[in-house]
Amino acid sequence: MTVLTTSKAPAAAPPQRSGRGSLRLFKPSRRARDARIGFAMTLPGVAILFLFTLGPALYAFYLSLFSWSLLNHMHYVGLSNFGFLFTSHLFWTAVANTVTFALVVVPTQTIVALCIAVLLNQNLPAKGFFRLAFFFPAVSSSAVISIIFMWIYNKFGILNGFLSIIGIHGPNWLANPLFALKAIMIMNIWTTSGYFMVVFLSGLQAIPQNIYDASQMDGASAWQRFIHITVPLLRPTTFFVVIMGMIGTLQMFDQSFILSGGTGGPLHSTTTIVLLIYQYIFSYGKVGYGAAATVLLFVLTMGITLVVTKWLGKPIEY
Amino acid sequence: MQNSRRRTRRIRRHISRWLYLAILTMGALVMFIPFAWSLSTSLKPLSESLVYPPVWIPHVFDWENYVKIWHLVPLARWFGNSAIAAIGVTIGNLVCDSMAGYALARVQFRGQRLMFIGVLAMLMVPFQSVMLPVYILLRAFGLLDNYYGLIIPLAVQAVGIFLMRQAFLNLPSDLEDAAIMDGAGRFRMFWQLSLPLVLPSLLTLALISFMLSWNNFLLPLLVASRPHLWTVPLGVVMFQQEYFVNWPYLMAAAVMTTIPVAVIFLVFQKWFVRGIATTGMR
Repeated sequence: MTVLTTSKAPAAAPPQRSGRGSLRLFKPSRRARDARIGFAMTLPGVAILFLFTLGPALYAFYLSLFSWSLLNHMHYVGLSNFGFLFTSHLFWTAVANTVTFALVVVPTQTIVALCIAVLLNQNLPAKGFFRLAFFFPAVSSSAVISIIFMWIYNKFGILNGFLSIIGIHGPNWLANPLFALKAIMIMNIWTTSGYFMVVFLSGLQAIPQNIYDASQMDGASAWQRFIHITVPLLRPTTFFVVIMGMIGTLQMFDQSFILSGGTGGPLHSTTTIVLLIYQYIFSYGKVGYGAAATVLLFVLTMGITLVVTKWLGKPIEY
Repeated sequence: MQNSRRRTRRIRRHISRWLYLAILTMGALVMFIPFAWSLSTSLKPLSESLVYPPVWIPHVFDWENYVKIWHLVPLARWFGNSAIAAIGVTIGNLVCDSMAGYALARVQFRGQRLMFIGVLAMLMVPFQSVMLPVYILLRAFGLLDNYYGLIIPLAVQAVGIFLMRQAFLNLPSDLEDAAIMDGAGRFRMFWQLSLPLVLPSLLTLALISFMLSWNNFLLPLLVASRPHLWTVPLGVVMFQQEYFVNWPYLMAAAVMTTIPVAVIFLVFQKWFVRGIATTGMR
């Protein structure tokens, strides 16, 4: 909302003249026609986008002030939905699960992705094959991957089969409240690392080779080059990867829903905020609670994004 | 002295290359095992799939599971639904994203900045987070339980507009200037002149949108309450909740769902990577 109102002023200013402004003499109506066509061409896309993205976000604020079960009449309750959430154990469990999930998954996947990308950037043979192997899980369906991992995490699944070789008696991963969320974390890291690896690879290719050449002349070791050149110069890419990772993990839904059969169990150990929102509509019929949780999820996402921006979003200095 | 130092350096580099390759091979194996395991399970009869400790290579390759699930559940129907939804979403994005991207990059009009900032803002709102209000809107618009509901909410992507804007910005402007001299209309310039020049970006956009819809789980979950409208991912999950002990069936379904994705990915790998490199996002 703030974005929309603050940007009104520059938008109302006349469009800048470009090089072809001189053609106005030649064809005076060009600009007016352009203005209409430009607007008409942008409108369908932006309208649909608004209807299903920013519009719903604003609508959530409105709905959070009402009590509604989808079937009865809405009635205004002020901020009491928020009051309910703040005192609800389940909501805080969901927040804790979601934040824990993000704080474990994002750093791990970022480091794994960076390491694989740096290794892949070494001109090794079969580079294309490796890139394909690491990237493929990221383009597969989250539903299918969740089902495959359910079978892997089964008490008699392949994971416990591997563990039994080294003498560990594995738990029933998804039925144990101590392990269920960790199991989803591992699956998520496995899925998304390859995607961010590709992002890092394109970032690595933008680092000028002569910096490496110069440092090699000065006798820097591979590790020193990694720490003193690669990591600092990749900061814009890292920033992007961490932000996208944070936004993605804070909205985690599919995996929790599928692996817990929609319950968020065992003992709410895999209930995330978005899963709880889903349950508020479809299990409890409490639209107001769900909308209030949606608003709080925005606040949480924005807060974490701002912290990350403060920390990583500075321009790089050579 | 100089020589020996150079030699040790060369040996060390040799060792580190082998070490890197070993690490990458291990990693690739970790990526590969879940898929291999699901393929292996899908070829076993139920009794063999539950043997513990697990057996990697099935005793006999049993293709029965692949035949049976087509009769157990309307899998063909689900594949059809997925295809209809994905093609609809792809067309929507190709049309809307490229027009909007062109106008934002090449045309100057009042409100352009506002629209562009709006698109940027919408990049930051993931679909899952607005699930509740989107569901209520879909319900109000009568988009539940029909194909439009599976298509329209994904028919425009902020990322897609961004990608196309970037592509059109990179075109040289002299071509268009010449067309302006000739008095060509804007839309004709877009359609006949500029669009053919950004075909690679259009292909990337098509792939991103197709995959987005094909793999989507949440939107069908919200929209399709009855099995005849389920897509493959939703159907497979619902199937799992019904047949949760029959892993060979489930893995056969998982393999069949993954095959189209794998084929598209193998053929168009370069364009996927390109898409990430140019927009830096999915």
